[in-house]
This record gives sequence, structure tokens and C-alpha cells, in this order.
Amino acid sequence: MLKKLLFQNQDKKQVFLAAIGALLGMTFLITSTHFLYRINEFGEGSEILGSNILVVQRKVTAASTFNLSKNDFTQEEIKEIEQEPFIHRVQAVKSNNFRVWLETNSDLLPPFTTDAFIQSIDREFLDANAAEWKWDTNSRELPIIMPRDFVVMLNTFMSSMNRPQVTDELVTSIPFKLRISGAKGEKWLNVRIIGFTNEISALLVPMEFMNYANNKYGDEEEGKITQIIIQGKKGQFGSLEKYLDENNLEPKKSQMIMGRLKSIVSTLVMIVFIVSIVAVVSSGIVLLQYMRLLLSQNNYEVKTLLRIGYAPHFIASLFIRYFSLVFACSLFAAFGIFFILKLWVNHTLQIGGIYLNESLSLISILIIPLSFVLFITVGTISARKNVMKLFNK
Amino acid sequence: MRITCENVIPIPLIEYPHTSDSLWGNTHVFEQGQKVHINAASGKGKTTLTHILAGFRHDYTGNISFDSTSISSFKPADWLRIRQSSLSFVFQDLQLFPSLTCEENILLKTNLKGGVSVSKLREWAEFLGLGDKWNTKAEIMSMGQQQRLCILRALSQPFETIVLDEPFSHLDEQNTQFALQLIQERCTELDAGFLLTTLDPTDRVSFNKEIKL
Repeated sequence: MLKKLLFQNQDKKQVFLAAIGALLGMTFLITSTHFLYRINEFGEGSEILGSNILVVQRKVTAASTFNLSKNDFTQEEIKEIEQEPFIHRVQAVKSNNFRVWLETNSDLLPPFTTDAFIQSIDREFLDANAAEWKWDTNSRELPIIMPRDFVVMLNTFMSSMNRPQVTDELVTSIPFKLRISGAKGEKWLNVRIIGFTNEISALLVPMEFMNYANNKYGDEEEGKITQIIIQGKKGQFGSLEKYLDENNLEPKKSQMIMGRLKSIVSTLVMIVFIVSIVAVVSSGIVLLQYMRLLLSQNNYEVKTLLRIGYAPHFIASLFIRYFSLVFACSLFAAFGIFFILKLWVNHTLQIGGIYLNESLSLISILIIPLSFVLFITVGTISARKNVMKLFNK
Repeated sequence: MRITCENVIPIPLIEYPHTSDSLWGNTHVFEQGQKVHINAASGKGKTTLTHILAGFRHDYTGNISFDSTSISSFKPADWLRIRQSSLSFVFQDLQLFPSLTCEENILLKTNLKGGVSVSKLREWAEFLGLGDKWNTKAEIMSMGQQQRLCILRALSQPFETIVLDEPFSHLDEQNTQFALQLIQERCTELDAGFLLTTLDPTDRVSFNKEIKL
């Protein structure tokens, strides 16, 4: 009866248009939030180093090849780089002052030995397994992070021996030994692979081991810092790239391509995200404005209901319930459209060779109840305020 | 409910002289169950009094108390309680819902606090000559029929006092008598009183108290 009294004679076209606005805004918002999240995490799952990390060296030129130009970094220069607003942290990449070989240590595999080059970084630069990234003289195994280039090399070797190729998981189960040798002696260590990286071409070891081994087996001379590791701030890759170029610094090419790609796509999706928020807020305002219009169109009915004894909060709740239902329908439809859009976008990206995580992101699901709660809160405040105005008239 | 009016004068009437037997500017007490007739010419403030008692208007000087509580201290929840179960009103401008039927207009009231069964309401409607209008929208009923519907709606809720503002202005003599009879019966049933405002003196019903404005 109350529904008939308050909502039957309204212009349905207006509420339909407002609902379409909310539907479009919410579709864009959910879709852009989902892809913003998925693009940011793209490539991070298989990478043990934290996000936005570059290993940088000075550009190799003919002059640097003949030692005519500087190719190392001083501590002052590192501190100066760290001051840049788009850089999160910087550290010197420490290298070995002794000889290193990596060997397989299993009867099931053909013997394989290679000269290796080791470097070390602090655990702050690692995303996962940071707890395992430590070593002391009592440790039975040395944790290492293996460059993916090394897995490619190992598979080339396996193919040449007519053996099946190995995956990342299999490589971690192969027993390897590290042989180190210097002026002061030689040592064999069992190693444990805790992860893989595309960003660095050397085997990575904990800083504690590098300091220990350099002291015990290395040359007396302190090595020059020829590489630094930089963690840039999220979404500021453009500034970092410009800075590196202006200062004659170069990262690994693949790092640049991935970083640039993620930065551009993230920026584009961020623009869509902001536009979507504006669209959702606008459509929410349109719906709420229409609610106020309906309240004022029903001025006499609402006032009379209050005069015969209906509570203002009850009358307000009738309006908010009605418009929440309209908004909920828009949300439900928006989620359905998002789901179809997601399938299409993922398929399109896969054709282009980009495989994003296809599962629904938590944030895209959370944004629905959050928007709904926000709408109900603002709607309830607005409806109560307007009904109370009529009560006090 | 005991209604006390102490030196009450509506602001728009403050400049006008009021006699010693007027409600305005003097003290009057309406006891629970009293039948009070308020007689005044047009423009003397009958509807203003109804609206002040209903809590729609607050532009007056003096003090009005329901039992011992001043209505100036009432909060919205107090007014809701009063409108739902203590005071019932027949407004001069009726305040019906034109798009709803006779039945729906009454049910909107009884849905709040109950009171009278639908079968009893239909019986009363028959008595007041509205039996065939039960499912008719208020907007296509005559003024006299709308006035009777408004009286029915007011009687359908529980109350201690019913305030009737010129409730028979569009009724013929016979319908007025029927309406008065129903009001009297319902007041007796609830041990309630009424405050009836009219333009002219009336001898249709006996009152405990007569006041002028």
C-alpha cells in the first residue's frame, strides 16, 4: 500500500536512466579495478625479487672498455641516487673476489660443471622466502637464487645429452654443489635453490656469505661497485627510465620492456579507474537526487503519513530500500557484464601472448559490497534529513 | 489524557483582543473523557488550535501540557506516540490520500497500532453510507463522503481524545447525526473525550464544556 502510494505514480524513465548510469559506472569500476590489480601483479608470482627492481650498470662504451671512462659507483653516488623521489631504495650489488664453479651432485644426472659468478643483495629486495635468505658458518646449505638464463643453459645441456628438459620445480630438487677457490684455500658447499630471477644474470647469495667468502678466500683488494640494484616506486617507471638515460645508466633490456609495459598499461588502467570512480559517484548522485525529487514530488503524501503517525525513519527507510534495490540490480548486472568483459579481455591478451591470472581478484568482489554500503549510508543520511525537514514543517 | 492550556495565544492572533471566556489568553483544562465544544467564527483560530495540539505548529505563546508534560519539550518520538494512540484528529482539510481507496486510507492508519477489525470498519462504513464506496478511490468521492471517510479513519485508531475540526461542514443533517452517534459510541467504548470545533453553536449533542475562541 505504501509502495503504491509513494512509488506508483513516478516517472519510471528517470529511475531507469539513473540505474543505467550506475550500471555503466560500476561495470567500468569493477573491470578497471580488477585489471589494475592483475596487471600490477603480472610477472611477480614467478619472480623472487620484489617489484619494480632494476639492476643497473654504467653504459658500456668503447671508452669504458679501454678503462678511459668511469664504470663504477662510489658510496656518495649511491646515496645521491637514493635521494630521487621516484626511487624507493638503492644498494650496491656485491660480487665475488674468488673463483666459483657450480656442479651437479647427483648420480641420476650427467655430470655438469660450469664457472659461475655470484652476487649478493639484501633480503629487503626479495618478495618471498626472505626468511630463508640467511647464512652463517654453521649452515649446512647455502641458499641461492638462480638466474633463469642458467635454467635455459642447463636445458640446452640436457638436450645435448638426450635427457628430458627440467622445469623450475625440478631444478630446485637437483642437488648442486658450489666450489669456491681463492688465494687462501678452497671449499665445497651444498646449495639449496630458493627461487629464480629474470632480473640478474649471476647466482645470488646472502650478503653474510659474500662477506665471509670474500674475506676468507678472496683477494685483499676491495672490489669496485660496478652494479647497483634499484627499487623504483610503483607507477613511476617513466621518471626512473628518464633518470637512468640522462645519467648514462642501463638496466637489463628485458627489465626495461616489462617495466615500461606495466607502467604504461597501469597508467592507462588508472585513468579508466579514475573515470570510473567519477562515473559511479555521478550515477550515485543522480540516483540520490532522483530520490530527493521523488520525496519532494510526494511531499503531501509523506507529510500526511507523518501527520497520521508514521515515523520519519520508517518513511526514509521505504525510499532507501527502493533505491537500494535499484542500485543492487545495477551492481548485479554490472558484475555479470564485468565477468563477460574479463573473459574477453583475458582471451584478447592471451592471443597477444600475455597471460594474466584469470581468477576473480578479491578487490573486484569487495568493491561491490563497499559501493553498496557507501550508497546506503549516504542515501539513508539524505533520506532521513529530507523526511525530518517535512516532519518539522 | 488531561490537556491544560495556560495563557495560550497563537502568534498571528496576539494583536487581537481576547475575552475572558476565550481559550486564547486564559487557562483551561480539558479532563480525560470530557466532551468539549469549541465554537468560533471563521478566522478565530480553530484550525490553528487543532494544528498546535497535533504538533504541526509551534508559533504560540503560553504553555500547553498533556497530563503534566509541556508539549514544547516533545521530541519527534513523543509526537508519534501521541498521534498513534492518544490523540486522534479529523482535520478540516481532511488529509486523505486521494489515490488510495476508502479501505486503504483506513488501513494505513490501523496498520500502525491496530484498533478496529476490518469487519467492524465495514459495518461503520455501511452505517455512515460509505458501504458501496469501500473500494473507491478517495479522489472520486464527494466532499461529504471524504469527510465521513476521515471521521472513520480517526475513529479506527486507539485514542484518549479525538479532536474534530469542523467535521460536519459538508454533511447533511442526517449524516451529521449518524457521524455524531458513531463518535459518541466510540468515545464511550474507549472512555475517551472529544474536542469539537464548529462555526455555529449546536444543540445536536450534549457537551461537558463549551468554550469560545
